[in-house]
Amino acid sequence: MFATSMYPIERMIVESVAAILCLILVRFMIKPYKLTRDGAFLGLPLGFAFLGISYALAAISYSPLGFPQELLWLPLLTRSFAFIFLATTYFFSNRKSKNGYLLGELTISLLAIALAVLLLIAFVAPEFAFNGYSSANVYLRFVNLICLCYIVIYTLRSHVRNPDPATIWIPFGFIFLAISQYSLFFWYIDSSFSAFIGSLITRFVGLAIFLFVSYRTFYGSNEKKGTK
Amino acid sequence: MKKIPRRDKLKIYGDLLSVLRSEGDERKKVVLTHVQVQINVPFDRLKNYITELRELGLIEGEISLELTEKGRQYLREYERILEFMKRMGLTY
Repeated sequence: MFATSMYPIERMIVESVAAILCLILVRFMIKPYKLTRDGAFLGLPLGFAFLGISYALAAISYSPLGFPQELLWLPLLTRSFAFIFLATTYFFSNRKSKNGYLLGELTISLLAIALAVLLLIAFVAPEFAFNGYSSANVYLRFVNLICLCYIVIYTLRSHVRNPDPATIWIPFGFIFLAISQYSLFFWYIDSSFSAFIGSLITRFVGLAIFLFVSYRTFYGSNEKKGTK
Repeated sequence: MKKIPRRDKLKIYGDLLSVLRSEGDERKKVVLTHVQVQINVPFDRLKNYITELRELGLIEGEISLELTEKGRQYLREYERILEFMKRMGLTY
Protein backbone atom coordinates (compact mmCIF):
# COMPACT_ATOMS: atom_id res chain seq x y z
CA MET A 1 0.00 0.00 0.00
CA PHE A 2 1.49 3.30 -1.07
CA ALA A 3 0.15 5.51 1.67
CA THR A 4 1.50 3.42 4.57
CA SER A 5 4.93 2.87 3.06
CA MET A 6 5.82 6.54 2.48
CA TYR A 7 8.82 8.01 4.38
CA PRO A 8 9.33 5.03 6.74
CA ILE A 9 12.37 6.38 8.63
CA GLU A 10 10.89 9.86 9.13
CA ARG A 11 7.60 8.36 10.27
CA MET A 12 9.36 6.01 12.65
CA ILE A 13 11.11 8.97 14.30
CA VAL A 14 7.93 11.07 14.40
CA GLU A 15 5.85 8.22 15.86
CA SER A 16 8.53 7.49 18.48
CA VAL A 17 8.63 11.13 19.60
CA ALA A 18 4.82 11.24 19.76
CA ALA A 19 4.83 8.04 21.86
CA ILE A 20 7.34 9.58 24.30
CA LEU A 21 5.23 12.77 24.57
CA CYS A 22 2.13 10.69 25.35
CA LEU A 23 3.92 8.68 28.00
CA ILE A 24 5.09 11.91 29.67
CA LEU A 25 1.47 13.12 29.57
CA VAL A 26 0.29 9.92 31.29
CA ARG A 27 2.36 10.94 34.35
CA PHE A 28 0.28 14.10 34.64
CA MET A 29 -3.06 12.59 33.62
CA ILE A 30 -2.92 9.89 36.30
CA LYS A 31 -2.81 12.52 39.08
CA PRO A 32 -6.59 13.23 39.19
CA TYR A 33 -7.24 9.49 39.48
CA LYS A 34 -4.58 9.06 42.16
CA LEU A 35 -6.18 11.82 44.21
CA THR A 36 -9.85 10.94 43.77
CA ARG A 37 -9.63 7.15 43.15
CA ASP A 38 -12.66 7.75 40.96
CA GLY A 39 -12.71 5.17 38.17
CA ALA A 40 -14.31 7.67 35.78
CA PHE A 41 -11.02 9.64 35.74
CA LEU A 42 -9.07 6.52 34.79
CA GLY A 43 -10.09 7.15 31.16
CA LEU A 44 -7.71 10.11 30.96
CA PRO A 45 -4.43 8.26 31.70
CA LEU A 46 -5.72 5.17 29.87
CA GLY A 47 -6.51 7.32 26.84
CA PHE A 48 -3.07 8.89 26.68
CA ALA A 49 -1.38 5.56 27.49
CA PHE A 50 -3.17 3.85 24.59
CA LEU A 51 -2.40 6.81 22.34
CA GLY A 52 1.28 6.40 23.27
CA ILE A 53 1.11 2.63 22.69
CA SER A 54 -0.52 3.17 19.28
CA TYR A 55 2.26 5.60 18.26
CA ALA A 56 4.91 3.17 19.57
CA LEU A 57 3.32 0.31 17.58
CA ALA A 58 3.20 2.52 14.50
CA ALA A 59 6.91 3.36 15.01
CA ILE A 60 7.72 -0.36 15.15
CA SER A 61 5.68 -0.98 11.99
CA TYR A 62 7.81 1.59 10.11
CA SER A 63 11.11 0.34 11.54
CA PRO A 64 13.48 -1.86 9.53
CA LEU A 65 12.54 -4.69 11.92
CA GLY A 66 9.13 -4.70 10.30
CA PHE A 67 5.75 -5.74 11.60
CA PRO A 68 3.58 -8.68 10.51
CA GLN A 69 1.26 -7.35 7.79
CA GLU A 70 -1.84 -8.82 9.49
CA LEU A 71 -1.18 -6.83 12.67
CA LEU A 72 -0.85 -3.46 10.95
CA TRP A 73 -4.29 -2.46 12.16
CA LEU A 74 -3.25 -2.86 15.84
CA PRO A 75 -2.02 0.76 16.09
CA LEU A 76 -5.33 1.88 14.56
CA LEU A 77 -7.33 -0.11 17.09
CA THR A 78 -5.38 1.07 20.14
CA ARG A 79 -5.61 4.68 18.89
CA SER A 80 -9.38 4.47 18.51
CA PHE A 81 -9.73 3.00 21.98
CA ALA A 82 -7.55 5.82 23.29
CA PHE A 83 -9.99 8.42 21.91
CA ILE A 84 -12.97 6.39 23.16
CA PHE A 85 -11.46 6.30 26.67
CA LEU A 86 -10.94 10.07 26.58
CA ALA A 87 -14.48 10.75 25.32
CA THR A 88 -15.91 8.43 28.01
CA THR A 89 -14.04 10.35 30.71
CA TYR A 90 -15.55 13.62 29.54
CA PHE A 91 -18.99 12.09 29.11
CA PHE A 92 -19.11 10.84 32.72
CA SER A 93 -17.18 13.67 34.37
CA ASN A 94 -20.25 15.76 35.21
CA ARG A 95 -22.49 12.91 36.30
CA LYS A 96 -22.28 13.42 40.02
CA SER A 97 -24.96 11.01 41.21
CA LYS A 98 -23.93 7.67 42.71
CA ASN A 99 -25.37 5.93 39.63
CA GLY A 100 -23.38 8.23 37.36
CA TYR A 101 -20.15 7.25 39.11
CA LEU A 102 -20.98 3.56 38.88
CA LEU A 103 -21.98 3.84 35.24
CA GLY A 104 -18.73 5.68 34.43
CA GLU A 105 -16.62 3.01 36.11
CA LEU A 106 -18.65 0.24 34.47
CA THR A 107 -18.25 1.77 31.00
CA ILE A 108 -14.47 2.15 31.42
CA SER A 109 -14.25 -1.48 32.60
CA LEU A 110 -16.38 -2.71 29.68
CA LEU A 111 -14.25 -0.76 27.21
CA ALA A 112 -11.09 -2.30 28.68
CA ILE A 113 -12.65 -5.77 28.35
CA ALA A 114 -13.76 -5.05 24.76
CA LEU A 115 -10.23 -3.97 23.86
CA ALA A 116 -8.72 -7.06 25.50
CA VAL A 117 -11.15 -9.32 23.57
CA LEU A 118 -10.39 -7.57 20.26
CA LEU A 119 -6.64 -7.88 20.87
CA LEU A 120 -7.10 -11.56 21.68
CA ILE A 121 -9.08 -12.09 18.47
CA ALA A 122 -6.33 -10.26 16.59
CA PHE A 123 -3.64 -12.59 17.88
CA VAL A 124 -5.65 -15.81 17.60
CA ALA A 125 -7.42 -15.16 14.28
CA PRO A 126 -6.59 -11.79 12.69
CA GLU A 127 -8.88 -12.44 9.71
CA PHE A 128 -11.95 -12.27 12.00
CA ALA A 129 -11.12 -8.90 13.46
CA PHE A 130 -11.82 -6.83 10.37
CA ASN A 131 -12.46 -7.49 6.73
CA GLY A 132 -9.33 -5.63 5.86
CA TYR A 133 -6.92 -2.93 6.82
CA SER A 134 -8.44 -0.41 4.39
CA SER A 135 -11.96 -0.57 5.77
CA ALA A 136 -10.65 -0.63 9.37
CA ASN A 137 -8.56 2.44 8.64
CA VAL A 138 -11.52 4.44 7.36
CA TYR A 139 -14.07 3.33 9.98
CA LEU A 140 -11.76 3.71 12.94
CA ARG A 141 -10.56 7.15 11.89
CA PHE A 142 -14.20 8.16 11.59
CA VAL A 143 -14.78 6.91 15.17
CA ASN A 144 -11.71 8.91 16.28
CA LEU A 145 -13.12 12.06 14.69
CA ILE A 146 -16.51 11.63 16.37
CA CYS A 147 -14.86 11.14 19.78
CA LEU A 148 -12.59 14.15 19.30
CA CYS A 149 -15.47 16.34 18.10
CA TYR A 150 -17.45 15.37 21.20
CA ILE A 151 -14.52 16.26 23.48
CA VAL A 152 -13.97 19.58 21.68
CA ILE A 153 -17.65 20.54 22.09
CA TYR A 154 -17.62 19.43 25.74
CA THR A 155 -14.47 21.37 26.66
CA LEU A 156 -15.59 24.45 24.72
CA ARG A 157 -18.97 24.43 26.51
CA SER A 158 -17.18 24.03 29.81
CA HIS A 159 -15.00 27.04 28.93
CA VAL A 160 -18.01 29.12 27.87
CA ARG A 161 -19.79 28.33 31.17
CA ASN A 162 -16.79 29.49 33.22
CA PRO A 163 -14.66 31.72 30.97
CA ASP A 164 -11.04 31.68 32.06
CA PRO A 165 -7.96 32.24 29.87
CA ALA A 166 -6.41 29.08 31.36
CA THR A 167 -9.20 26.78 30.15
CA ILE A 168 -9.15 27.72 26.46
CA TRP A 169 -5.95 25.77 25.67
CA ILE A 170 -7.31 22.25 26.07
CA PRO A 171 -10.15 22.62 23.50
CA PHE A 172 -7.47 23.85 21.06
CA GLY A 173 -5.33 20.80 21.87
CA PHE A 174 -8.21 18.50 20.98
CA ILE A 175 -9.08 20.58 17.88
CA PHE A 176 -5.52 20.05 16.63
CA LEU A 177 -5.75 16.31 17.27
CA ALA A 178 -9.07 16.25 15.36
CA ILE A 179 -7.51 18.16 12.43
CA SER A 180 -4.68 15.64 12.49
CA GLN A 181 -7.14 12.74 12.14
CA TYR A 182 -9.05 14.61 9.43
CA SER A 183 -5.83 15.23 7.48
CA LEU A 184 -4.97 11.54 7.73
CA PHE A 185 -8.26 10.78 5.97
CA PHE A 186 -7.11 12.85 3.00
CA TRP A 187 -3.64 11.40 3.10
CA TYR A 188 -5.10 7.91 3.06
CA ILE A 189 -7.45 8.71 0.17
CA ASP A 190 -5.16 10.63 -2.19
CA SER A 191 -1.66 10.33 -0.64
CA SER A 192 -1.47 14.11 -0.47
CA PHE A 193 1.91 15.21 0.87
CA SER A 194 0.53 18.38 2.45
CA ALA A 195 -2.18 16.39 4.27
CA PHE A 196 0.49 14.02 5.58
CA ILE A 197 2.75 16.82 6.82
CA GLY A 198 -0.28 18.72 8.14
CA SER A 199 -1.44 15.71 10.15
CA LEU A 200 1.97 15.30 11.79
CA ILE A 201 2.34 19.00 12.59
CA THR A 202 -1.16 19.33 14.05
CA ARG A 203 -0.66 16.18 16.12
CA PHE A 204 2.52 17.61 17.64
CA VAL A 205 0.90 20.99 18.26
CA GLY A 206 -1.99 19.24 20.04
CA LEU A 207 0.31 17.12 22.21
CA ALA A 208 2.54 20.14 22.93
CA ILE A 209 -0.50 22.07 24.18
CA PHE A 210 -1.41 19.26 26.60
CA LEU A 211 2.17 19.13 27.81
CA PHE A 212 2.33 22.91 28.21
CA VAL A 213 -0.93 23.02 30.22
CA SER A 214 0.10 20.08 32.42
CA TYR A 215 3.59 21.40 33.07
CA ARG A 216 2.32 24.89 33.81
CA THR A 217 -0.28 23.59 36.26
CA PHE A 218 2.04 21.35 38.23
CA TYR A 219 5.39 23.13 37.96
CA GLY A 220 4.49 26.68 36.98
CA SER A 221 4.15 29.57 39.41
CA ASN A 222 0.99 29.20 41.47
CA GLU A 223 -0.97 32.31 40.46
CA LYS A 224 -3.98 31.37 42.56
CA LYS A 225 -2.06 30.56 45.71
CA GLY A 226 -4.02 31.44 48.75
CA THR A 227 -7.02 32.75 46.89
CA LYS A 228 -9.24 29.78 47.46
CA MET B 1 -34.49 24.76 45.59
CA LYS B 2 -30.94 24.69 44.26
CA LYS B 3 -29.52 21.18 44.23
CA ILE B 4 -26.23 20.88 46.12
CA PRO B 5 -23.77 18.82 44.09
CA ARG B 6 -22.62 15.54 45.61
CA ARG B 7 -19.38 15.92 47.53
CA ASP B 8 -17.21 13.07 48.62
CA LYS B 9 -15.09 13.04 51.75
CA LEU B 10 -12.01 14.12 49.84
CA LYS B 11 -13.70 17.28 48.60
CA ILE B 12 -15.02 18.06 52.08
CA TYR B 13 -11.50 17.58 53.51
CA GLY B 14 -10.19 19.94 50.83
CA ASP B 15 -12.85 22.58 51.55
CA LEU B 16 -12.27 22.29 55.30
CA LEU B 17 -8.48 22.61 55.02
CA SER B 18 -8.92 25.56 52.66
CA VAL B 19 -11.20 27.38 55.12
CA LEU B 20 -8.86 26.64 58.05
CA ARG B 21 -5.90 27.97 56.06
CA SER B 22 -7.63 31.21 55.13
CA GLU B 23 -8.82 31.70 58.74
CA GLY B 24 -5.27 31.02 59.92
CA ASP B 25 -3.76 33.41 57.36
CA GLU B 26 -6.09 36.15 58.56
CA ARG B 27 -4.96 35.33 62.13
CA LYS B 28 -8.55 34.82 63.16
CA LYS B 29 -9.56 32.55 66.00
CA VAL B 30 -11.21 29.57 64.36
CA VAL B 31 -14.90 29.48 65.23
CA LEU B 32 -16.33 26.10 64.33
CA THR B 33 -19.82 27.39 63.60
CA HIS B 34 -18.31 29.81 61.01
CA VAL B 35 -16.40 26.92 59.45
CA GLN B 36 -19.57 24.83 59.46
CA VAL B 37 -21.45 27.52 57.55
CA GLN B 38 -18.65 27.95 55.04
CA ILE B 39 -18.27 24.27 54.16
CA ASN B 40 -21.94 23.47 54.61
CA VAL B 41 -21.92 20.29 56.72
CA PRO B 42 -23.79 19.39 59.93
CA PHE B 43 -21.91 20.26 63.14
CA ASP B 44 -21.53 16.65 64.36
CA ARG B 45 -20.05 15.59 61.02
CA LEU B 46 -17.73 18.59 61.05
CA LYS B 47 -16.37 17.46 64.41
CA ASN B 48 -15.80 13.97 63.00
CA TYR B 49 -13.94 15.42 60.01
CA ILE B 50 -11.74 17.50 62.30
CA THR B 51 -10.90 14.41 64.37
CA GLU B 52 -10.06 12.50 61.20
CA LEU B 53 -7.86 15.29 59.85
CA ARG B 54 -6.08 15.52 63.19
CA GLU B 55 -5.46 11.76 63.15
CA LEU B 56 -4.06 12.08 59.64
CA GLY B 57 -1.67 14.75 60.87
CA LEU B 58 -3.06 17.43 58.56
CA ILE B 59 -4.19 19.78 61.35
CA GLU B 60 -3.06 20.43 64.91
CA GLY B 61 -4.06 22.37 68.01
CA GLU B 62 -6.87 21.87 70.46
CA ILE B 63 -8.32 25.38 70.84
CA SER B 64 -6.98 27.07 67.73
CA LEU B 65 -6.95 24.75 64.71
CA GLU B 66 -3.96 25.16 62.41
CA LEU B 67 -2.71 23.36 59.35
CA THR B 68 0.45 21.32 59.81
CA GLU B 69 3.19 21.41 57.16
CA LYS B 70 1.81 18.09 55.89
CA GLY B 71 -1.66 19.66 55.73
CA ARG B 72 -0.40 22.67 53.76
CA GLN B 73 1.45 20.38 51.38
CA TYR B 74 -1.64 18.23 50.91
CA LEU B 75 -3.81 21.28 50.25
CA ARG B 76 -1.34 22.67 47.68
CA GLU B 77 -1.33 19.35 45.81
CA TYR B 78 -5.14 19.12 46.05
CA GLU B 79 -5.59 22.64 44.64
CA ARG B 80 -3.11 21.95 41.83
CA ILE B 81 -5.04 18.86 40.80
CA LEU B 82 -8.37 20.72 40.96
CA GLU B 83 -6.84 23.44 38.77
CA PHE B 84 -5.53 20.81 36.36
CA MET B 85 -8.96 19.19 36.11
CA LYS B 86 -10.53 22.60 35.52
CA ARG B 87 -8.01 23.38 32.77
CA MET B 88 -8.67 19.95 31.22
CA GLY B 89 -12.37 20.83 31.14
CA LEU B 90 -13.28 18.13 33.68
CA THR B 91 -15.61 18.70 36.61
CA TYR B 92 -15.03 17.23 40.04
